Amino acid sequence: MLVDFDIIREALPVLMKGLQMTVLVSVIGIPAGILAGGLFAYMGESRNRPARLLAKFYVELVRNIPFLIVIYLSYFGLPKLGLRLSAFHVALAATAFYTGGYFCEVMRAALHSVPRGQVQASRSLGMSAWTTQFHIVLPQLLSFLIPPTTSLVIMMFKDTAIFSVVTLPELTYQSNLLTSESFAYVEILGTAAVIYWLCSLVLDTAGQVLERRVTRWMRG
Amino acid sequence: MIDFLTVHGALSPFYAGVLGAAMVTILASTTAFFCGLALGACLMIVRVTCARPFGYLIRLYVSLMRGTPLLIQLLIAFYVIPSLLGLDFSPLQAGILALTCNTAAYISEILRAAYSTVSRGQAAAGRSLGMKPWTIWWHILLPQVFHRSLPPLTNEFTILLKGSSLLSIISVVELSTLARNVNLQSNLPLQVFIATAATYFVILFCASSISRFLERRIAEVLPNAR
Repeated sequence: MLVDFDIIREALPVLMKGLQMTVLVSVIGIPAGILAGGLFAYMGESRNRPARLLAKFYVELVRNIPFLIVIYLSYFGLPKLGLRLSAFHVALAATAFYTGGYFCEVMRAALHSVPRGQVQASRSLGMSAWTTQFHIVLPQLLSFLIPPTTSLVIMMFKDTAIFSVVTLPELTYQSNLLTSESFAYVEILGTAAVIYWLCSLVLDTAGQVLERRVTRWMRG
Repeated sequence: MIDFLTVHGALSPFYAGVLGAAMVTILASTTAFFCGLALGACLMIVRVTCARPFGYLIRLYVSLMRGTPLLIQLLIAFYVIPSLLGLDFSPLQAGILALTCNTAAYISEILRAAYSTVSRGQAAAGRSLGMKPWTIWWHILLPQVFHRSLPPLTNEFTILLKGSSLLSIISVVELSTLARNVNLQSNLPLQVFIATAATYFVILFCASSISRFLERRIAEVLPNAR
């Protein structure tokens, strides 16, 4: 028998505990990053030149520096600046930072998809800038935003595996711990992979359902 | 500033090794990228031409590769695959294998999206001129598909090169490994990792510049390509 199911049965509770940590980091870190990314996207579109440059710089940093190096820098580097964070807080901050950079790009592409004339029209009808954004621009963005945001969320959810290198007790860390005790690489790594895969499938399906809902809601 | 980055020679091991380590990073990711491109193109062609069961198999493969972390794939390629196949992989070979399989899944999706924008008449015209299927793909469809997918392929390459930093976890001596080792020796994490981040930045910036140059060049040579 190639696969020993007893090992999987024993490992499953530990892996589930790891999954809880993975999910916790994703649930807090990714939405925080999406908020930050949205903010930076508006900064990138503003008339203020320094704000535009800052947003561009942020996106280029995230696009051109590996997640691993960002994690090392914040876990080992920040204490030298007097900011000592636990692995969990580093995980939240790094996830939010990285998600934000990618979401900023997604959001800017979406903002460009709404014709400028619509903004001008609603402004000339006397709507405030806020009303224009909330009632005219954002509803049209939603269905445009959902597919790339879904793949971003899945990407970041998977990338939390990298936090195992800074000893955050998440799914990959737990499976590394288990394999170093039992050397049952096939069973434990395989189970961890399947858990990640199922979670990604759930996220993917949720994204598709949400997209259909929003499209139907937009048609009225 | 210079003093901050060199710290009186404490970082000299980093600067001594950075070129070699960067070469390993670049070599591993370009090898994986071009192998992944070939494999991804095959997967895409099989998926759009062959019968249902093959299509489902490829969809399963793509879903698995896109649904599991690269780190887990690397660990599986390093610990599981060699013992299953009875082969002996070096860390670098296992790493390139995992990167190739991972990127091929993403590339096949990118190519499929580009293929769906190529007009059906192109293949029909080739057939009516008496071309064989292979000739149609090689001379008519694939060039258009590659041309149209150049920007997303560049994006995929940058993601792949960033992902290659994870090779350090299966003990391939590349840029991130060098950074980690020098950090352990010197205990100067800020300087070491900022210098590493800058190195990655330069490599990736060059890669996207090359891609933009290629795009412009193609647009000059084939003005009516789109």
